[in-house]
Amino acid sequence: MVGFHKPATLAEALALLADEDARPLSGGQTLVPMLNQGVVQPSLIVSLGRLRELRGITRLAGGAVRIGAMATHAEIATSTLFEAGQTLMPRTAVQIADPAVRAAGTIGGSCAFGDPTADWPVTLCACGALIELASAAGRREVPATDFFQHYLQTELQTGELVTAVTIPPLAGRGVYRKFARVYGDNATVSVAVILDVDVDVAVEAGRCRFVRLAVGSVGPRPIRLTAVEDSLVGRMLDAAAAEAAGAALAADADPLDDLRGSAAYKRRILPRLVQRTLLEGINP
Amino acid sequence: MIDITLKVNGSEQACRVDGMTTLLTVLREQLLLTGSKRGCDYGICGACSVLADGRLARSCLLLAADCEDRAITTIEGVAEPDRLTDLQQALVDAGAVQCGFCTPGIVLALEALLDVDPKPDETAVRTALGGNLCRCSGYGAIVDAALKVAHG
Amino acid sequence: MAEFETVGQSVPRLAGAEKVSGRVAYLDDIQRAGLLHGALLLSPHPHARIRRIDTTAARAAPGVRCVLTGADFPHRYGGFVRDEVVLAHERVRYAGEPVAAIAAATLEQARQATALIEVDYEELDAVTDVDAALAPGAVRVHEDFERYGRRNIAPLPPNVCAHTLLSEGDADAAFAGCDVVIEGEFRTPAQVHAYLEPCSALAEVEAGGKITVWSACQSVFRVQATLSEVLGMPMSRIRAIATPVGGSFGGKSDVTVQPLAAMMALRTRRPVKLVLTRHEEFLMMRTRHPARIRIRTGAMRDGTLVARSVHLTLDGGAYTEDSPAVLGFALLMARGPYRIAHLRCEGLAVYTHRLRAAGFRGYGNPQVSFAGESQIDDIAARLGMDPVELRLKNCVVAGDTWVGGQRIEAAGLRECLMAVRDAAARRPTVEVRPGYRRGIGFSAVAHICGILSTSAIVRVLEDGSVTLNTGAVDLGEGAETVLAQICAETLKLPLDRINVAPADTDGSPYNWSTGGSRTTYMVGRAVAQATVDARDKLLTHAGQMLECSATDLELRSGGRVGLVGVPGMEVSFHAISQRAHWVAGGPVIAHAAVMFEGGGFDPKRTLLSGNGIGRLGAFIFGAQAFEVEIDEATGQAAVTRAWSAHDVGRAINPAGVNGQIIGGVVQGIGYALYEELVQEGGASTNPNLADYKVPGAMDVPRIVPIIVEHPEPSGPFGAKGVGEPPIIGVAPAIGNAIRALTGVRLCTLPFSPQRVLDALEPPA
Repeated sequence: MVGFHKPATLAEALALLADEDARPLSGGQTLVPMLNQGVVQPSLIVSLGRLRELRGITRLAGGAVRIGAMATHAEIATSTLFEAGQTLMPRTAVQIADPAVRAAGTIGGSCAFGDPTADWPVTLCACGALIELASAAGRREVPATDFFQHYLQTELQTGELVTAVTIPPLAGRGVYRKFARVYGDNATVSVAVILDVDVDVAVEAGRCRFVRLAVGSVGPRPIRLTAVEDSLVGRMLDAAAAEAAGAALAADADPLDDLRGSAAYKRRILPRLVQRTLLEGINP
Repeated sequence: MIDITLKVNGSEQACRVDGMTTLLTVLREQLLLTGSKRGCDYGICGACSVLADGRLARSCLLLAADCEDRAITTIEGVAEPDRLTDLQQALVDAGAVQCGFCTPGIVLALEALLDVDPKPDETAVRTALGGNLCRCSGYGAIVDAALKVAHG
Repeated sequence: MAEFETVGQSVPRLAGAEKVSGRVAYLDDIQRAGLLHGALLLSPHPHARIRRIDTTAARAAPGVRCVLTGADFPHRYGGFVRDEVVLAHERVRYAGEPVAAIAAATLEQARQATALIEVDYEELDAVTDVDAALAPGAVRVHEDFERYGRRNIAPLPPNVCAHTLLSEGDADAAFAGCDVVIEGEFRTPAQVHAYLEPCSALAEVEAGGKITVWSACQSVFRVQATLSEVLGMPMSRIRAIATPVGGSFGGKSDVTVQPLAAMMALRTRRPVKLVLTRHEEFLMMRTRHPARIRIRTGAMRDGTLVARSVHLTLDGGAYTEDSPAVLGFALLMARGPYRIAHLRCEGLAVYTHRLRAAGFRGYGNPQVSFAGESQIDDIAARLGMDPVELRLKNCVVAGDTWVGGQRIEAAGLRECLMAVRDAAARRPTVEVRPGYRRGIGFSAVAHICGILSTSAIVRVLEDGSVTLNTGAVDLGEGAETVLAQICAETLKLPLDRINVAPADTDGSPYNWSTGGSRTTYMVGRAVAQATVDARDKLLTHAGQMLECSATDLELRSGGRVGLVGVPGMEVSFHAISQRAHWVAGGPVIAHAAVMFEGGGFDPKRTLLSGNGIGRLGAFIFGAQAFEVEIDEATGQAAVTRAWSAHDVGRAINPAGVNGQIIGGVVQGIGYALYEELVQEGGASTNPNLADYKVPGAMDVPRIVPIIVEHPEPSGPFGAKGVGEPPIIGVAPAIGNAIRALTGVRLCTLPFSPQRVLDALEPPA
């Protein structure tokens, strides 16, 4: 027998979730399959569906965008509040799974699950997003790059909930490229790029003013190397520079041998996909 | 066990569920609305598709207890009794119905699309079908039927 | 004026409106008062001895009405080798093999009770692939194999359940005389049927002890016969009914869960429903035979194909089932649709501690065709010949013979090859993105649709409408619509006056199985014959009513019989049938029984030894072309355009034929590019639909079906089958495109991005 509560306030929800046998329910796209298969057997399910404070997408003064944890992938995909480099967010959302999953799945649920082959972790790391957590003891904010720690392991403690994700203002434009076996699959390798360049069409290159670059599904956490990003700023970003950036990330990658491909294969294709994504950022 | 009230196809239904009882189970076993099918219980095949507040949803991934505030439409509620929607008729006419097990889910996915985008192109149709597996038809006739309804 | 009223028309599928509105009852939709629900306990080990199984706690659990173990099923069964058990008894032979079954008042209770069963396993060494199984001194999957009842009792090596050798001419000598000889070894994986509706059955015992089993199945007769063996009851006390099936593709041609449901119903005297979860499907049900094909083809400089030798090893899994038939059929088709005089085809079906392999659309032909049609292109490349030209030069035509000497009556293969070649050549040019490349690959396909026996009963009801009883099952392929069309056309009745009764051993005359591409051809022949007989009976009655000779009468559209040349002189079927029922002659009931009697092997021509091959024939041909785009950065291959041409004799329902073609091609794309049940040490690593990928709408392009019609003289209205061919040539055609684009022959399926990338950029 599994109990069910749908509290009206965040405080109530947090109190119920202090019990480690309780599970929060947001979009259900990850929790419910696990319930159906008997992989998890909670004593209590706490639905977050009534918590208004977890919903909505708002643009803050200063240009950051605050996304409630219960915002669905579909809502993010169609939101017009993301500007410039923040467009990485809707461009990622639209590639998650399929329409039904996008309509129900939430960014908070996805973050809490912490699957590094999913789409949000790599994109949120590229954005330098802040993940807001709440517990009965209070709130805290954790950078995405610290939040996603290992396969299905995040910074979340028992009794904590993801309440919001905040995307800082970001220049340029965002490109999310996901290489997967079939449409809707989790990524074999994914690349999230935010890029602001002075484009010189004649040489198919651009002088880089701002760049964020993260790769996913090639290790227990998304890989973002600020040293690589720093080395690109001010440089002409062409095919060779793009591939070199990819090679640097590949050197740091630690992918698994799995159904999507061997570790060696993923390391091999990573620089090419980084190159392709960066070039797309220059020349859409 | 919890007593809940669900709004399904326009009428209120009283049901008794556990915290982890899915909407699919309630539809099929308590409400005897067997048009939504259990193909995987994993959220992949789409045979269980329903509309929740007009949006495509997988009933195998919805907990019934969490659905009290939503209007649920199943395949049984898509058309008027003893009638077919234009899309349903088009699917039959196009030869898009083979074993039929995926068909209710496909109908809901396409009705949800046409509600939002009455004139989708082929890519939009195929994207809308991205969460519905069909092992019989290869999708060709299904896409034809949707395009026929959209563009004549 | 159209030649036919309904034949050749894409009439909407029978029950289409019901399916599209969710009103068709599949097995799991059926409710019964007092229904019990079944759940299973599966073995976690690929090979183990069951030291002890304690069901005490399970029996005492709430709602539980019975618990079965292997001891409850004393009879082994199996069509070729009697090695199969319903529940593992003393020994488990694959991870996922069921060891216990529980019936309880609710599904929840049944499942919870399975966790209370204590099984003490002694794990044993397992052979989880063919090489391990065939190694000297390997653990035996069936220690008592020699004691099992077997259809073919020739001695076999350890862990081999079937061996067949087929040869014509003298291949070894012929190779020596060839200008070009190409050798290769090809490997194919375990493909999962992945029908959307899980295996399910509902069993109910009448007061008198007769048992009825509803199930999703391809043959109610096979269910009936197997239950008779398993339960030790005569067939006359067993009734099997087919509910509409949510896809099958061969995976439901053998019994699945019917014996379990039946035994639980017998024990409890309550109706029992057992439906597999998708997870159980992946663990416990069947796959296509993984295969290794060693193949050699020899040709002359001018492109004449001279010799072929094939050695085929099939991984049959833990129980034999239909492996000997798949083996034999694969060897029969391994020559390919070519005039190759010298042939040596040999094969083994091997036991391993894996889930069973069974018939799956193509039945061994996809595996040998992957090898054979790949090698044809290699020959063409070596000779500097166009691969379609090479095929056209050698392909069989009407009047040629198949392996064994059977005459090919009609063959539209040349037309199919030219149709796909021309369609591909005419394709509008598309600019290929930088970093990608596109190319075309072709294949030729041959298959059969004539096999075993079937029958049909046509009854004219009192009002002149008709009930058609056959053993054909609605799997989604459209059989019942086609059969109704044949009947309606023959009687010139509108389609809605034909009632196609569902398959039910109590009412349906025997049909071997719905599958093997045989329903239109075999059951259609029986329906046509029976309907002609019904028509003759109607004419005879009408002659008596109109006081003239039946030879002066004609059928008129809408269920009437009239005097030729005299429009006013006629009687309706209604009137005829009323007279038959109440006045004279008795009800109009016609029947026909048909056995496929072609095929066979002329001993002066063909050496056939070992498990042998049945009488098969009525050849069907096709050709396919695929445009494949490769991403040079990742090796990912995608089909961007596809054409699939099939000679169906006559398309009785073109929309139905197109549906089979497109659906089969898409299954073939999955087989070629990403479907593979992966196992490590006998355990599946991807036993769910998230990790075992099946093509979705975004993964495949528009498939262009092309219907070619060379009427088959023995077919109903000239028709023959199409169910399987569309899947058969997909993998080699894609492989041929990849070879054209990379210069490398990929010999292992699926063509994963990694494998293609290694072809583009060979590792140092």
